[in-house]
Amino acid sequence: MTDFDPTRRDVLKTSGVAALGLGGGTGLLSTLETVDTGDGGDAVASFVGEDRVVKSACSPNCRGKCPLDVYIRDGQVKKVEQQVPAATEFKRGCTLGMSHLQRVYSDDRLKYPLKRASWSPDDPQPGARGEDAEFERISWEDAFDLVAEKIQQTKSEYGKESILWHSGSGDGGTTGYGRLTQLVGGIRDSFVFGIDTNVGQGFNRITGEGGVFMPPTNTADDWVNAETIIIWGSDIFASQFQMDAEWVLDAKRNGAKLVVVDPVYTNTAEKADLWLPIRPGKDTHLALAMMHYVLENEVYDAEFLRSRTNAPALVRTDDGTLLDPSRISEDPPEGSVVVMNEETGEPEVVQAETGGPFALFGEWTVDGTTVTTGLAQLREQAADYPPEEVADVAGLTQDDIETAAEWLATRGSGGIMPSYGVGRYLYGHVFGQAYATLLALTGDYGRHGNIHAQHPSYNGSYLHTGDWGSPEGAEGTEYHGYRKLLGMLEDGDPVQPRVMYGMNSNMLGNQFPDRDRWLAAMENLDMIVWADMYHTPTTQQADIILPAAHWFETEDILTTYTHPNISYREQAHEPLWEAKDDYYIMAGLAERLGHGDKFPDDKHDVLDRFVQNDDRLTWEQLREQGTVATDETPTVAYTDAFGTESGRITVYDDDAPAEEGPGLPDDGVSLEVPKPLEARTADDWEGADEYPLVFMQKHSKWRIHSQWANVPWLREINTEPQLDIHPQDAQQRGIDDGDYVRVHNDRGSVVVQAKYNEGIRPGLVNTDQGWWAEDFVDGHYQDPISAETAKVGRTFAFYDCRVEVERADEQYQSNQYTEDNPRGAEGTAGGD
Amino acid sequence: MTSYGLVIDQERCIGCHSCAITCKQENNVPMGQYWNRVLTEGGDHIDTPSGTYPEDGDGGNLEMKNQPTTCQHCANAPCVKVCPVNATYTRDDGIVEIDYEKCIGCRYCMAACPYNARVFNWDEPEHVPEEGTGDVPARPQGVVEKCTFCSHRLEEGLDPACVVNCPADARIFGDLDDDDSTVSEYIAEYETHQLLDEKGTDPKTYYIRGEMTPGRPWKGKHMEGEDGETSTADVEAATERVPHVPAGPEGGDD
Repeated sequence: MTDFDPTRRDVLKTSGVAALGLGGGTGLLSTLETVDTGDGGDAVASFVGEDRVVKSACSPNCRGKCPLDVYIRDGQVKKVEQQVPAATEFKRGCTLGMSHLQRVYSDDRLKYPLKRASWSPDDPQPGARGEDAEFERISWEDAFDLVAEKIQQTKSEYGKESILWHSGSGDGGTTGYGRLTQLVGGIRDSFVFGIDTNVGQGFNRITGEGGVFMPPTNTADDWVNAETIIIWGSDIFASQFQMDAEWVLDAKRNGAKLVVVDPVYTNTAEKADLWLPIRPGKDTHLALAMMHYVLENEVYDAEFLRSRTNAPALVRTDDGTLLDPSRISEDPPEGSVVVMNEETGEPEVVQAETGGPFALFGEWTVDGTTVTTGLAQLREQAADYPPEEVADVAGLTQDDIETAAEWLATRGSGGIMPSYGVGRYLYGHVFGQAYATLLALTGDYGRHGNIHAQHPSYNGSYLHTGDWGSPEGAEGTEYHGYRKLLGMLEDGDPVQPRVMYGMNSNMLGNQFPDRDRWLAAMENLDMIVWADMYHTPTTQQADIILPAAHWFETEDILTTYTHPNISYREQAHEPLWEAKDDYYIMAGLAERLGHGDKFPDDKHDVLDRFVQNDDRLTWEQLREQGTVATDETPTVAYTDAFGTESGRITVYDDDAPAEEGPGLPDDGVSLEVPKPLEARTADDWEGADEYPLVFMQKHSKWRIHSQWANVPWLREINTEPQLDIHPQDAQQRGIDDGDYVRVHNDRGSVVVQAKYNEGIRPGLVNTDQGWWAEDFVDGHYQDPISAETAKVGRTFAFYDCRVEVERADEQYQSNQYTEDNPRGAEGTAGGD
Repeated sequence: MTSYGLVIDQERCIGCHSCAITCKQENNVPMGQYWNRVLTEGGDHIDTPSGTYPEDGDGGNLEMKNQPTTCQHCANAPCVKVCPVNATYTRDDGIVEIDYEKCIGCRYCMAACPYNARVFNWDEPEHVPEEGTGDVPARPQGVVEKCTFCSHRLEEGLDPACVVNCPADARIFGDLDDDDSTVSEYIAEYETHQLLDEKGTDPKTYYIRGEMTPGRPWKGKHMEGEDGETSTADVEAATERVPHVPAGPEGGDD
């Protein structure tokens, strides 16, 4: 076996200095000249066995962190395969992870630090940013100096709150970002709140688990025990589950009934035993209808409700609060609730995890106060949502609603797997509360076969990084959710950032709605610095661009909560051109900001700290096996008291917030029990006549957010952004299959090619998320979406968007990709 | 005697295209060409169904299935019959292979193949990156190429790349002449069909529909029989249901 030197770079030569030629450049790419080895490569029939195989892992925001085998020959990556990890049942990977090779060697890669030609620290000219801005190459020395000096200058003039640190979710490795930002100080933005925090927020409020993303649930290997799985608003086999498809497929094979709730007939719906083609925005209605069925037919889990929820808790009918235990007991334990014991006929104070003959329904007078039960309150709410009526509202049949409820309640253990997508409405958190409540009725917590999220939660697999993220001498940062950024940038509310450092993010190209507002707001910044692997629509808006290394070019140790393996990533080869591991970028800045001593010269030493600090890990095992399996996560979640004050799921939450926002009464709507709140998806929304169609931007199988956008293998099949539209909707508008259409509302528009899809609900249209600005004939999918958030929701509502669609002007009616199309991309794959 | 065959479980296939992309990578397939394609059986566009959308939740009949399609390695291969220079031939192990040095690019084989399995290099093949990918050298301009069941991997005891990298475990490869192989067992136990079987090509690729199989039962990259692989029985055991056990003091069956 030949020993290849991974640091040898002579085989990788650039094809000239890439100074100003940024952006565009798809088509047939050649970034590397080969060295003539003169060894007559054709004489060899196969190179199997000659490659050096390097253990690695992927790390985008699918959160998969799939262990990968990277094959290297002649110093160059030749292929990527799924790696068999220590916990072998978690061998996984997807179309994207296995196409990294074309990401490493891509013409879109940033090669050198760049400075916007029209920018200087004393004369930033923010108005000169934009699509036409030109850049010039600078050295790393100059780049670090410029950035650090400007940060120092701005801090001393305006205070540390003028420094805005931005990170997205593009990478999950060790970069030192947390450490540096703590040391330097400033504002750090955060997903909380918010992007995609709705479903988790609602669920966790009543189960007390804290956090705002997907809730904890049973481990993936337990899912085979489910008798009913409801995949709710999720195209998991496209957006995420490629990596782990077998868990759900095996459950189905073992007899689980698969229900899919989705307005679109997707690859996931194709696997369903029952598909509920729900109207967008009606998910809480459906959940309530299912609760109605369960309550009316008395197929709820009475024992579970009595012991693990506040269903039997006494609620005052005068003000809706829970009866105070001190009313009937002298020194009631904290968090206890009052219940009515049906055997004794007396009220009783009980703590968490305690069952008994407690009444679930009824009305009594206790200590002079009329009370009923928490469950009675829920039943009263659900009474307004009988399946036969919700069927009309949600576009379903009564039969199907009842079947789904029947299966969940009576077949045995079951679960619900929602996506983040079902929360992408202003009030989407109510759905989180609703499905958590429904599962409480059916007692689906704490048993084998229960599922509460669309991915597992192996919390035990986290690295023990010790105090790496909280260094001594830190000035400290303040967190602000993404939704607050516009207010800050536009109006200085609550603080005015003047310098912004961004990484792991393509925010201006992807999930920040109402794009033009962001572009305008960022004119208030004197310096925008961005680090990325590629030149994106966001880096185009920056003043200083820093080239980050591709993941394979870094060394790292990766963990995830979606599987129990800790993965080692060995460096495949040195970063190409002058790209740097983000860690070395952070370290370079740290040195000039007076914190150089806090960043070891060699990142390996940082990783070594973690390994030494963690007795599960040895370098030997990490290097040889590539992964270490952890086993701290219990198979079954929710076996102990819940994290709420009472230790019980609050099917009636007397401490509920009141939601406020468009379409709601001025004094808000309080959410003791789930109430279906809608903004633009409401049937009586005032703009419905002008903008009748709901607009989604689903996460497709062809990219993770806006990563993998320019991989030639994938672009051969997925050639350009399109609009999924039902033929009926299209024909009503005189739109033929393949016509270019303008999707618009009063906020903005985008022009894309119409694609007839019998599987999309009439009244709904979709353009897959993640395409870059340059891919659109005109406009961008973020342009029609509002950046407003609700009072409680506080998260961007990408699907709370209505549009009209019409055939675009004649000038747009040609396929702009015809000339640049790699030869043969038409008709070579799929669909024929 | 060895007779290699492929079983594709369409109940497990999620249409992700990993197999198609992995094949391109492994076999250094040029841009614009595909050896392995995932076709959508349904609407006119990829990942769209045929039929009508349910009205008010009722009466719809949407249907869609994913069909990964590559050279079927027919036992009675029409391409082998028509090649005028014997560039295309069937190996002893059943793989239909092309000798690129003999191929004169007449493309009779492409006319003969009813599966559209072959592609022809009209121009100088282009790769991204230029140096090529995977573990086999590129083919020159002017020859036909197609799936080889990754014969270069089989020689080293490895399963084909598409089989190893399927995230749904939907592809199983093995020896059809061995009654105990997983492929033989699945063909015997499950409802299978071959594409265009009425044409008499006798493909060695079998598609499963109706009842889902356990899929490829072992995780390793090796071929079955090469290195202590898991048998179907082991998979059954591993995916067997755990009887419901109340985890807490309460929380009984509903």
